[in-house]
Formats: sequence, C-alpha cells, structure tokens
Amino acid sequence: MIYPLLLTAFVISTCGLVYELIAGTIASYLLGDSVTQFSTVIGVYLFSMGVGSYLSRFVVKNVIATFIRVELLVGLVGGISASLLFLLFEHVENFRILLYSLVSIIGILIGLEVPLLMRILQDKLEFKDLVSQVFTFDYVGALLASLLFPLVLVPYLGLVRVSFLFGLFNVLVAFWSIRLFKNELKSSTFLNTMAVVLVLALTGGFAFSEKIMTVAETSTFPDPIIFSTSTPYQRIVITGNGKDIRLFLNGNLQFSTRDEYRYHEALVHPGMAALPQASDILVLGGGDGMAVRELLKYPQVKSIQLVDLDQKMTQLFTEQEILTRINKNSLKDTRVKVLNGDAFVWLRKNDRKFDFIVVDFPDPSNFSLGKLYSDTFYKTLKKSLKPNGLVVIQSTSPYFAKNSYWCVVNTLKASGFYTTPYHAYVPAFGDWGYVIGSQTPFCPGKNYAPALTYLSPESFNAMLEFPKDMLPTKTAVNRLNNQELVHLFEAEWSEYEAH
Amino acid sequence: MRPISRADFLKGLGGLAVLGLGFQFLRVRPAQFRVSMVGPSRQVGHRLRDLMKDGAASLSSFVDCGSKTVVIVGGGMAGLSAGWWLKKNGFQDFLILELEPQVGGNSSFGENAVSKFPWGAHYVPLANRESKYVRQLFLELGIIEADHDKEKPRYNELYLCHDPQERLLKDGSFQEGLVPKRGLKPAEEDEMKRFFDRVHELRETRGSDGKPAFAIPLDLSSEDACFRNLDKISFARWLKENNFVTRPLQWYVNYCCRDDYGATAENVSAWAGLHYFAGRRGHAVNAETNSVVTWPEGNGFLVSRLREMLADKIVTNAPVLRLIEDKEGGNLCYFTSDGAVSRYKAKFAIFCAPRFLAPYLVENYKLEKKPTYAPWLVANITLKKVPGGRGVGLAWDNVSYYGDSLGYVVANHQNITTRQSRVVVTYYLPLSQLPPDAARRKLLNSPEKAWSAAIVEDLETMHPGITADIISIDLWPWGHGMISPGVDYIWQERRQLPLNQGAVHFAHSDMSGISNFEEAQYQGVQAAERVLAQLEKS
Ligand SMILES: Cc1cc2nc3c(=O)[nH]c(=O)nc-3n(C[C@H](O)[C@H](O)[C@H](O)COP(=O)(O)OP(=O)(O)OC[C@H]3O[C@@H](n4cnc5c(N)ncnc54)[C@H](O)[C@@H]3O)c2cc1C
Repeated sequence: MIYPLLLTAFVISTCGLVYELIAGTIASYLLGDSVTQFSTVIGVYLFSMGVGSYLSRFVVKNVIATFIRVELLVGLVGGISASLLFLLFEHVENFRILLYSLVSIIGILIGLEVPLLMRILQDKLEFKDLVSQVFTFDYVGALLASLLFPLVLVPYLGLVRVSFLFGLFNVLVAFWSIRLFKNELKSSTFLNTMAVVLVLALTGGFAFSEKIMTVAETSTFPDPIIFSTSTPYQRIVITGNGKDIRLFLNGNLQFSTRDEYRYHEALVHPGMAALPQASDILVLGGGDGMAVRELLKYPQVKSIQLVDLDQKMTQLFTEQEILTRINKNSLKDTRVKVLNGDAFVWLRKNDRKFDFIVVDFPDPSNFSLGKLYSDTFYKTLKKSLKPNGLVVIQSTSPYFAKNSYWCVVNTLKASGFYTTPYHAYVPAFGDWGYVIGSQTPFCPGKNYAPALTYLSPESFNAMLEFPKDMLPTKTAVNRLNNQELVHLFEAEWSEYEAH
Repeated sequence: MRPISRADFLKGLGGLAVLGLGFQFLRVRPAQFRVSMVGPSRQVGHRLRDLMKDGAASLSSFVDCGSKTVVIVGGGMAGLSAGWWLKKNGFQDFLILELEPQVGGNSSFGENAVSKFPWGAHYVPLANRESKYVRQLFLELGIIEADHDKEKPRYNELYLCHDPQERLLKDGSFQEGLVPKRGLKPAEEDEMKRFFDRVHELRETRGSDGKPAFAIPLDLSSEDACFRNLDKISFARWLKENNFVTRPLQWYVNYCCRDDYGATAENVSAWAGLHYFAGRRGHAVNAETNSVVTWPEGNGFLVSRLREMLADKIVTNAPVLRLIEDKEGGNLCYFTSDGAVSRYKAKFAIFCAPRFLAPYLVENYKLEKKPTYAPWLVANITLKKVPGGRGVGLAWDNVSYYGDSLGYVVANHQNITTRQSRVVVTYYLPLSQLPPDAARRKLLNSPEKAWSAAIVEDLETMHPGITADIISIDLWPWGHGMISPGVDYIWQERRQLPLNQGAVHFAHSDMSGISNFEEAQYQGVQAAERVLAQLEKS
C-alpha cells in the first residue's frame, strides 16, 4: 500500500505542476508579457497551495473519501482548464479573474492533497521516512513535469490535449485509490460512478480537442452537403435536400434555389428594362452565372464580360450538372466571356465601355472586400461606363444593416452618380437592397424581358418605396482610408447576431 | 512491499528523460525557411577604401568622359530631388552618379513573387502647407489630385494608407491605433491626454517671427529661443521635467523616437522629440490629419517615379572616388564604372552622400566632428498567409507593446486585390539599445541566422506559431541608417557643417538632423537652387 500511495504523490505533483504550466503558458499566449504571466500564475498557485494545506486541518472525518473526492475534482478542473481558458477568453469581461480563479482552485485542491495523503500514510511509516518519501516523490514529479512539458507534451499534444490527459491521470489515481481503500471506504459507488463519468468526459475531450478549438469557427449547415471545396479565396459549400439547393461561400448563404430568382431578377431587370439598346454588359463577381442567366433573356445583348476572382467557382458553374441546371448553362453561352481576376485591378486597366454593369460582390465583411465598395472603386467603374450606361450594385440589407446600405448609396452618390435605391424581399436573406447608379437622372423603363417570375413595372415601383424603418441615414463616404462601410457592417451585423 | 530506493527511482527518471530527448529528435522539424543577407554593397565600399588608400596614385590613369556642368554624387532622395529641381528649372547638363546598382539610397525597395516591398523609408505624412516642394512633387505625380496650394488638398485615395492603419498588441489582444488604450489606469489615461493636449497646442503655436514653432522642413521653424533652447536638453529630460512619467506614455514616446530617429528619448533632443508630435500639421479634404501616403514598395514609389523622370541622367554602379578642385575652381570628379576609373570635368558638384563620407571623397574636406548615425536592421519576411491575432485584424502597421522591434508594416496592404494568400511584411529594428558604434559592429558582425532567430522569436510573441508560415527572411543592415538628432545637433552642430566647399555643394538629410523624405528633398532642392543661382551669375 505504501508504494502505490507514494506513486500517487508523484502523479499528483506532476499533474499539479502541469496545470500550473498550462495556465502560465496560455496566459502568456493570450496576454503577452510571459515574465509577468508566469510569475503571477506561479505566485497565485503556490499561495493557493498554502491555503489548501491550511484547510486540510478542517478535514477530520473521512480523510480517505475526501482525498479521493479532491483527486476527482482536480482531474475535472485541471482537465478542462486549458479548453476553458481558450474558449472563454473572447467572452469574459475580465480574463484575469477567470485565470486566477482557476489557478487558485487548482492550487487549493493540490494543496489539500499532500497533507491528506500524509495523514493517510501516517501510521504506515515512521515520521522521518514519511516526510522524506512523500516530498521526494513530490519534488521529483515536479521536475519530471517541468521537463516533459516543453520538450514532449506541448510539441506533440498541444495545450488542450495535455490538460485533458493529465486530468485523466488524476482521475485514474482516484480510481486506483478507491480500489486500494475498498475496505476503509463506507460506500464507493458514488465515487466510482463519478470516476467513470469523468474518465469518459475527459477522454472525449482529449479525442475531440481539435473540434473544441474550432467550435467557434465552424458554421453548421442545415442540409446535407453535396459538394464542398476550398479555393485560394474561399470555401465553397453546396448543400441540397432534394428540393432546395444552397450555395455557401465561407459559410455565408449566397442563394437558395427556392427564391434566388427573386434576388437575381431584382438585381438585373430594373436596369435592363431601362436600357433597350444595351448590347455590351459587364458583370463583376457573380461567378455563379445567375445574373448572366437573367441578362441573356434580352435579345439586344451582344456580349457579356464576366470578371470573377475565383476560377474554381466559375468552373463549377460551367461544368457541374446540378449547378448548370440552375443557371441554365449561362456561362457556356457564346456571348459570354469569363475572365478570372481581381475586379478592381482589371477595371483600372480596362478601356472598353459598357452599357450596363452588374456589381454582385459578397457583402463587405472584411477590409479587402470593403475596397470594392469604395468611392475610388466607383470612380474607376465610371470610366468603363458609356454616357447613357447604368450600374447596379448589390448593397446588403437595408433592414438588418441600414447604415451599411445607405453608406453604399451615399458613397456611390459622392462618386458622381445619380442614385436610385430600391429593395426586394428575398425570403432566404430577408429584405435586400440594391442601388442603380446613372449619369443622368434615372427613369424606370418598361421593357422587361418576357416571362419573369417576380418582377414587373408595378412591382418595381413598389420597390422604390422605403418604409419608415429603412429610411435613408447620413453616413460618411466609404473610402479606402476609412473603410467606413466595413466598420458599419461589422457593428450592425454583430448587433443583429447578438439578439 | 519495500519503498523503492532512490537509486531505482533515479534510474527510472533517467530512462524517461532519455525517452523524452529521443522524441525530441524524432520530431519532424518544421520546414526551414530561407534566410539571406541582402545589400548595401559592402564590396564596393571596401574597394572604395582600397582605392582611397592608394590616394591620387590610382587616379593617374582614367577614361576621360569630357565635361558636365553639374555632377550629382549619390542618387538617394536628396540627389534625385536635386536632379528633379534642376530639370524642372530647364537645366539639362547634369548627371547623377550612384554607387549602388539602383538609385534610392535609404528609400530603396525590392520585389519578389508576392509583392514589392520597402528596404527603408515606407511612408510620408500628409504634407504641411509650408512643405511646398513636397506638395509640388505630389501634384506632379498625381499623389495630390487637386488644391495642392490650399490648406486641405485632395489626395489620391489609392495612395492614402488604407484603413486599418495601425494596431498595437497589448494585454493579449490587438487594439486599434498605436497609442496604448487597453488596460490603462486612470492616472495613465490622464497623463496621455495631458501629453496630447500639450503637443497639439504646440502644433498650432507660432513664434514671435510668425513662423510655426515646429515646421517641415525644419529650417522654416520659428527662431524664438523658447523653442530653440529645447534642443539643449534631451527629450527624456523634458518629459521628466514636465512630469510625463507613466509607463504607457513613456513606451509610446520612445516608440515614436525610435521609429523616426532610430534612437530613444534619452538620445534625442527635446526639440527633435517634440518635432515628431508637433511638426505634422498636414490636412486633406479626404483623409484624417494623422494619415500618411504609402505604397507596397514604400517611398520606393517616389524613387521609381523620379527615376523615370530622370532616366537619361542616371548612371548606376558608379561610385564616386574623389572630387578634386581644378585650376578653374570647378571639380574633377573621379568615379569607377565597369571597374575602370573615369573622370568628368564639372563646374559644380552636388554631394548627396552622407557627410561622414566627405573627408574620404572631397579633397581637403575636414569634418570637425562626425555626426551620429543610428544603425538599423530591416527584414522583409514573406509569409504563407496573413498573420492573424486576437482583437482588430491585420493593419498596415502592426506593433507589439512587448517587443524590442518596431513591429512590421504589411507591404501588400495597399493592394486592391481580394486575394488574401501570401504577404510580405517589412520588419524594422533600430539598434537603439547600444551606443551607435557598438551597435554597428554587432549589426555587421552577427551572423544572419542570429538575426533571423531574434526576429522569429519576436514575431512568435505577436503571433504564436507564425514560424510555420514563414517562407523566407531577407535582411538588410543599415550601418549608418539615419542621422540622430541628439542634444545640440539640430540648432548647433549641423549649422556648422558648411553648405559648400568651393564648387562642391552639399545635400543630404543629415544636414537637417532629421532623416525623412521631406528633409532629404528640401536639402536636395536647396543645393540645386544654390547651384542655379551661381550659374545665373556666371
Ligand atoms: C530603416 C529606415 C526607415 C526609414 N523610414 C522612413 C520613412 O518611413 N519615411 C521617411 O520619410 N523617411 C524614412 N527614412 C529616412 C530616409 O533616410 C530618408 O527618407 C531619405 O531616403 C534620405 O535620403 P538622402 O538622400 O538624404 O540619403 P541616402 O538615402 O543616404 O542617400 C545617399 C545616396 O548616396 C549614395 N552614395 C554614397 N556614397 C556614394 C559614392 N561614393 N558615390 C556615389 N553614390 C554614393 C548612396 O548609395 C545613396 O543612394 C528611413 C530610413 C531608414 C534607414
């Protein structure tokens, strides 16, 4: 019995030191300034151990059961400590409170353990042997931990797994102790159950630690994924449930086949209906070929130039059966030329002029996309437009991101365009906004392509009306050097998502 | 059961340790990245020294290139600006002789498959109203689009630094801007505010002579003693006397001094230190006051445009060896090109190399006291992907509160592409912790691996795990990077530097005491003006 118990001392101290090192390391990762972090963590830890040792005198009865309970608790708290620190960092007001509470709890528990262990051993060894043996094992365990931690554990397992692993060791020691003290313990069922539960939980944590680290990042898709690929620019995911096919770029819904016609008809037709002579068209973004499909409904169209960043995307929508069924093989039409490149860079070099330009970029959710909504971009765009030409811009939701929407409109205006804002209801997205830019005041046209599902001259008139909760707001112009739109967009969507 | 003996235990422990070490060796090493030390060409420098040792002897045989009215020695910003000004004034008979394979000096740039990137100067603040020449050039290059003579010109937004401009890693997360904001105590916050109130007041202050207290170029600053006396004490002392003592403020002020002068507040004068905060008064209709203009290649953009303008006037790989006064009071300018010594007979020379070289290159030139130059190490680091980090996302300028370096600037930041793949970041390290001479020795003698290791360690504290993303590190040591505006340099010592010696006129940013584009350009234009005036006379 003595030998196993001394080994217990060894495991306990190894685990204890590992938790301390984990806390110190994570704190320096997250807070920087490793000297301060390590000093304070070690200080708090040692002090807490003192507190634990002091508290041990109040354990009078059931020393063994308490020892095992403490052991289980250390396993639990220590085991989950790393994941807890990583996951909560973003969400807690004061990370240091969390950090030091965790370190204190572990320190107190570890501080309780050694005195309890010595009391268990007290009548099995002579006092001088007891003290010498227990502390030898205790300190050697500490040495082992401090060597293994940087050399083996962190490089091979990573912090989260190390923490689960040592939690597991603690629980196994508890398990073992339950065995050893079968006779002394009144009832061990509860302790045994707890130990089993903890072993399972910590093993689970260990196995799924990768998942835990990415839990914040992965978005879940409601329907089965039928196709997914990563390109240098984005992650493309297509889901389907038999009736509805959906495209997600970087986890953001781009269209659902149930109602994409609403989005794309509203994007293309109000402009085209006013341009009976439009023969040369430019589409920026829109690699899914849906806007092109709508444009091809007009016989006057002679050529469509599509510029999309992502070759994989346009390739998919040219070749994949299920996808070309949706865009009616639009990208294979002889009038359509597909070019893969950066819209802004391409525009600055372009000297062709177009009758109609469709701008269908992803929402301005990051700084590089924000540049495609800047006044400099719109001024560049203007140079590629014929005098009577029109541009239309998808411009996020005037309901969910009211200021962002009006910021796009205001920026277009500041770039020297007459603006005609309008919006449509697309169930998969909600209320969605567009804006037409023109060089003379815009007059809605009547020349809609035949057989549209959604749009008509009358419905367009209604789209021009903005109800009271979407009325224009004053915003700064979105410039490259202020990225006003990205800031607004972030603020508005995060507010919306928070509810 | 007997308690296990200590011997057994130690054996077991030894076994475990061996096992651990074994693992360590088995571990797959992370892919190694390439490290290399790039220019400036030391080879040429050494050859120059050898040649100069031999003195006039080695100059006895030369290829005679005939005569030029003006020869400009050195194609840094000052030299290019002198050329720009001469040409602008309709004067054509001049040449620029540059030691390196390309012009630019401290504003040079490089390029790899990912991006262009600066090797030194990387930005210019919005130009003050009195910075006439800067505004003039900016107008010519389309950097200013309109109203270059108004309070608030319109700038080309492609060149204004795109948002987000700066972020600082402090307390575990990146905050916007470089002024520490996270985790300040109320007293620290108050002091920060008091400091900015003070320098902003100084920014608008004019002296009794009607001139701004701190102007750009600094020669246009007020002559009032109350300002100029600030040059007699160190900035550190001024801060202490004015009770600016808290750590975040001290950090920020030192960061700025090291950024602009390569020296700490201890080693620059209060006048110079305050000039950084109170000198920049430039506005734009379409940008905030603290904006800057910048390009992927940094001020290399300005170099390229000037080089295009002056294409037929530039000779590179042409180190000047000697300027000797001839009988007519003009200059004989000896230089090498393609290994052979050549000579121009010139009426005037504009010497645009740093002044500490003048004793070696200009016959009979005596330098009373060698000015102090701050050594720098610049590294361009190519990364597989954009470095992340908690808090605000990647900005143009990214700094850590904890490192010794000034952080890094993202070369691709000004791109208008949506690609977010590989990036080049330019890492700046002024060696301001050591005295300049010791620092210079360290800079030139430490192996490149030692530097790259130090850089990686610093970057790891900003972005744990970034090592795996490094494709390459290219290093550029600047032995005499920037003139240091120490106590009494700007308003005393540098004014004792002669503007000319006979027909050799001098122009370099070390004649201002502050090393930046505006001063280099001003010195270049001033020297060109002096030469034009002389030409007019004759
Ligand atoms: C790391 C670093 C970062 C900087 N960042 C900025 C910044 O962001 N913004 C800013 O405005 N300024 C910055 N500067 C300051 C920069 O020094 C100035 O902007 C400017 O480039 C100085 O130009 P100059 O002509 O005075 O000197 P230099 O650049 O020193 O030019 C001297 C030239 O003379 C040449 N030369 C020397 N000897 C000979 C010879 N014998 N024969 C022929 N040619 C010779 C050199 O090769 C060089 O081209 C930075 C400087 C450094 C070192």
